[in-house]
Amino acid sequence: MANIFPKWVNSVPIKLIIAILLIKSAVVIGITYYFSPQYTRVGYAPTQPVAFSHEFHAGTLEIDCRYCHTFVEQSGHSNVPGTNICMSCHSMVLKDDARLATVRQSYDSGEPIPWVRIHKVPDYVYFNHAVHVNRGISCVECHGKVDEMEVVYHAKELSMGFCLECHRNPEDYIRPVEEIYNLDWERPTDPSEVKELEEFVHDWGVNPPQSCSGCHR
Amino acid sequence: MEEKSQEHGAKYWKSLDDLAETPAFKEWVEKEFPSGASELEGVGRRNFIKIMAASFGLAGLGITGCRRPKQHILPYAEQPENLIPGVANFYCSSVPGLTANTPVIVESHQGRPTKIEGNPSYKAFGGATTIYDQASILDLYDPDRSTASNFNNSKVPAYQVKDFLVSLKDTNTDSKGAGLAILAEPSASPSRIALKKAFEARYPKATWTEYSPSQYLNSRVAAQSVFGSSVKGSVDFSQAKRILSIDSDFLSEGDDALAKSRGFTAKRKILNKSEVSKMNRLYSVESNLTTAGSMADHRLRLSVTQMPAFIAKLGIELINLSNSGGELLSQLSSIASTCEIEDKWVKECAADLYNSKGHSVILLGDHLTVETQALGFYLNQILSAPLTLLEHADSASNLRISNLADSINTGSVKTLIILGGNPVFDAPADLKWAKLLNKVDITVHLSYSYNETSAESDYHIAQSHYLETWSDGRTSEGHLVPVQPLIEPLFDTFDELSLLSSIIYDAPVENYAIVKDTFTNFGGTDFNQFLKQGILDSISYSSYTGTVDISALAQLLSQASTQKVNLGLSNLELRFIPSFHAFDGRYANNGWMMECPDPITKLTWDNALLISPRLAKELESVYGVSIFATSTSMNEEGAFFKSAKGELQKNSSVFKRGKESAVIAQIKVGNNQLEIPMHVVPGLANYTVILPYGMGRQQVGRVGENVGINTYGLRTSDGMGFITGVEVKATEKRFFLANTQEHWSMEGRAIVREGTVDYYKKNPDFVNQMGVESHAPANYGYKDNASLADKSQNQYRGNSAYVHPKFNEPDPNVKVWKGKEELYPNNQQWGMTIDLNTCTGCSACVVACQSENNIPIVGKDQVLRGREMHWIRLDRYFSAEKYKASEVPEDVQVSFMGMTCAHCENAPCESVCPVNATVHDKEGLNTMAYNRCVGTRYCANNCPYKVRRFNFFDWNKREIGEFYKGPLGPVEEPELEKMRANPDVTVRMRGVMEKCTYCVQRIQAAKINQKSIAGASNDTAVPDGTIKTACQQVCPNDSISFGDISDPNSEVSTMKASDRNYSVLGYLNVRPRTTYLARLRNPNKLMPDYYKKPYAYKAYKDRYGSSQATSGDHSHSNTHYDESHSAY
Repeated sequence: MANIFPKWVNSVPIKLIIAILLIKSAVVIGITYYFSPQYTRVGYAPTQPVAFSHEFHAGTLEIDCRYCHTFVEQSGHSNVPGTNICMSCHSMVLKDDARLATVRQSYDSGEPIPWVRIHKVPDYVYFNHAVHVNRGISCVECHGKVDEMEVVYHAKELSMGFCLECHRNPEDYIRPVEEIYNLDWERPTDPSEVKELEEFVHDWGVNPPQSCSGCHR
Repeated sequence: MEEKSQEHGAKYWKSLDDLAETPAFKEWVEKEFPSGASELEGVGRRNFIKIMAASFGLAGLGITGCRRPKQHILPYAEQPENLIPGVANFYCSSVPGLTANTPVIVESHQGRPTKIEGNPSYKAFGGATTIYDQASILDLYDPDRSTASNFNNSKVPAYQVKDFLVSLKDTNTDSKGAGLAILAEPSASPSRIALKKAFEARYPKATWTEYSPSQYLNSRVAAQSVFGSSVKGSVDFSQAKRILSIDSDFLSEGDDALAKSRGFTAKRKILNKSEVSKMNRLYSVESNLTTAGSMADHRLRLSVTQMPAFIAKLGIELINLSNSGGELLSQLSSIASTCEIEDKWVKECAADLYNSKGHSVILLGDHLTVETQALGFYLNQILSAPLTLLEHADSASNLRISNLADSINTGSVKTLIILGGNPVFDAPADLKWAKLLNKVDITVHLSYSYNETSAESDYHIAQSHYLETWSDGRTSEGHLVPVQPLIEPLFDTFDELSLLSSIIYDAPVENYAIVKDTFTNFGGTDFNQFLKQGILDSISYSSYTGTVDISALAQLLSQASTQKVNLGLSNLELRFIPSFHAFDGRYANNGWMMECPDPITKLTWDNALLISPRLAKELESVYGVSIFATSTSMNEEGAFFKSAKGELQKNSSVFKRGKESAVIAQIKVGNNQLEIPMHVVPGLANYTVILPYGMGRQQVGRVGENVGINTYGLRTSDGMGFITGVEVKATEKRFFLANTQEHWSMEGRAIVREGTVDYYKKNPDFVNQMGVESHAPANYGYKDNASLADKSQNQYRGNSAYVHPKFNEPDPNVKVWKGKEELYPNNQQWGMTIDLNTCTGCSACVVACQSENNIPIVGKDQVLRGREMHWIRLDRYFSAEKYKASEVPEDVQVSFMGMTCAHCENAPCESVCPVNATVHDKEGLNTMAYNRCVGTRYCANNCPYKVRRFNFFDWNKREIGEFYKGPLGPVEEPELEKMRANPDVTVRMRGVMEKCTYCVQRIQAAKINQKSIAGASNDTAVPDGTIKTACQQVCPNDSISFGDISDPNSEVSTMKASDRNYSVLGYLNVRPRTTYLARLRNPNKLMPDYYKKPYAYKAYKDRYGSSQATSGDHSHSNTHYDESHSAY
């Protein structure tokens, strides 16, 4: 009886298995790598209802972060300012400018401006701004150089790995409390000054949690 | 690019309709769900939507799941003052009660009240609230509350209600209110009293009646007779060493129960042996088994009909001891002649009370007769009891509801305004209130929900919640407290004060102005300070100093019955008590109250006729049904082991995982009949049956629908408290009751450890000589003698296989502390103690925890399956002198134990979790990472305390009854219900395990706050007392201590250093962070029912023997097991 299947068919199962394994690994590796917040979040820069420029206000005009984000030192949330904060200047400056129509409308009607949320930590995380800015962690560590952003974008991945990196090595991110809102502060490289930063950790008893309960409740 | 795909993700979810119309998508649906798609041909709309929902679920997951939907941040247009987004605000207010308000502090998140806590400025309650106060916040967000007024069965807007009220005012002005009647609930609000006076001035011919089904006025009437003033007694428990409670549940009854409970247990806070002499002694004579009776050192079961005879007999003893009041003796002895109690009990009790003259007090249940109350006042006078008589400025001497019914029957009432309450449901049955309403031309009902009375009224006006309105009230001492609104009324609703003021005053008057006026009239000056403090304690009710008028007392006593009532199966005594769940019916739609197990019966979602074991036995023999549930025991003979051995269980249908198959009884009172399931409770008077009222509402809402049985039909004007001549028959029918604790006995195990005061004095270390750990204690190896602080931080391994990381060292992956370990800050170690000597089982902690931690309710069906979610389980054990597993004993001692996650240092749950979802943190908390949990439930299986709870369904997302539909059921819970959630706690989803977290959100908030304050300094340790867990905060008796056990000076360390401190199941070497302080009982040696050791201890000794000298103890042999029940 003639062979129905040619000889090369014998190698098909093994080839198939290898192919499936390779494809599976590629998919798994691809998903782990490209579906991390590093790829899915970083760079997200939605169009905001008002073309507010942080580059101009925080950078050129050097307005302190806390002028608008008033409660960052007291609250877990760093609040987005109410329209009344905008209007405290813009009732006099550029008061008829077309770009500010939405702001004036909000102020008159009492309806909030629907800002689009940019930064978001993973679900089930309770992040607290107050404890970070009061203990030597600057805005720039998580938000990047907002004072250079015309349109604010998601600068860091804000994933669990990102958080833990700093919680394990606070000495690499801590800075003098008076420099928290100075986004241009340069981290020293001189060993004696680096030593000083380490001393902050020791003197202030900085002991950031690595346990689940630190962030998940 | 990024942005575009983001929008797509959002678009799929937002514009379902557009998408559903594309042919390509329909095709996809058809391929994916062939069976469902075929239905699309001739489609029912419902099915189409169901299928669509499922399809979109998949679409969202598969195509867009990796992109998050676009979210918006909506800041205030005008940032309000004093409001920081993300920081809770706290405002003072108070919960209105019938005779007194509870001062509270309400937590508010961005204008949304979420949690009620007691106001610590009110010292009498010490920051505690009742269980009902805790649950009352849920009513604010009840989707079934009345959202609009309803005139003649059609909804009307607010302005029409206002017009109607003005017309009411106009029509009644000329007639001076003739034909106008008001029926109100009692209230402690002085503003309402002021408005009542204004009302009476404007409408002199109108009548004002007050009624509440749970209020008895016998004591006030008695006081009026013997003092000439309707004063109320207020006990100073700090002076009370001997207390006799006669059918009084003083630990949970009345608006000042918290003060009583707090005062009573303050004398039971025994830190160590040296303080034991301050312990008070409680005698309790009662017909029902109450929480007060559970705390008693000597307890006597007695029917209500016997109470007058008992107190007369006690009176004779006291009069003889004090040589005063001899003129009453002959009257008293004729009343006392029917007393069934042995002389010695009464004699020794009286002697003990009299020997502590000036420090002993008699408390009487409100339902007892007027002459009994009057005699009580006199006996307290003989004892020079630490009792202050207060002249309440309320309106107790008002017309009774029966007077109002009479005037309606004579046709003299044309307009009836009912302020709150629900008389159609809860008025005495003989008044036939529903029919009465038809005889009135205009009936107006102000009500929070559309209830039975609203349905019978012409005009239903929707009422505001107390957190939505301005009002005020007084505490039981008479301090003024505000009722401050936390939120604008969510709907177009009205409240008592505004309704009254709009029919009294021609010009509109704001509630705020009325309340402020009242404050000023009381001599208050700074209103804002008053609101900030939440209490004005410079004013109080005046105290009365007169003495009892003996001739008036003699007059009253002459009315007392001297006939003996022979109770028996054909002549039972029926006592009415408010339901623990629904109270008088007002919490019938409150899921938290419905699901919270009753402290004694442990029933949820139902009311049952409570009967004594003796009666149950007689019913069994007469009617041939099997009533007893617990003929299964857990030891060798018991069903548990039998079933394990494959043997048949005799009575398996009676109890099966929380399902109590109860026999339905038929009660006959006069011509009225009722069928209701029976539940056997030990400790009841033999022929007294207890019937809770308030359940079984008909017009109620989704939660309370078809829950429980309405028993008001049996309650008539002449038998509001109790009634005799009642017959109970057992039927063949059965009904499943949702009982969360079917087993009553500890089976001799050392779970709750108890000792008597005398025994404790001799053996201060008795707790460590009980349980298996007396032979095999927790194993710390050579570090056994290390301090608690040291043990908590270093986690000594002992002989454990598991090596712990040390808590006082930096993690190995942190390099900055290398070489600087000496500077490493101390990680505080959290721990808890629960003092069983002061826990009264009130269960307020259970609901406080539920409120704080977003714990869902699951419904009766799921409780029957054992799936209740409470993080705190309040265990209740009965122990009897002679233990017999197959029977419910008649005389019992009750022990309570709050059981919740003990945060074991060697946590057995952690070692079995395959995904590390439950792990330890550096502060000793056993944490749950919900998003890691995959729901294997191994942890719950391995937990020795059985405190882990599993989300079998999306309890928070779906409504009760919709659980099984899964994704096809309605997804969103009502917007209103979402608003009550605590934003600081994760709302758990289906398939994850949860349990007590030690209120980790409060710990973290305190730590964050401390660190923020510390700034550039190392002052990061949270001071002791800053963190209060929700259960600790609400506890009126401060039974729970929580804090840092690595600090030897913290409160919790002090408690743990007590010689009464022990670990439950300590021999497992799990090293629980929550430990318990053993309970003490203080029996009187001279009493006939004196016991040397508590029954629980005896049962323990019977089973295990004792490792220490037992000379003088009753020797217990195994023959006790074999004793027949004739011994009982």
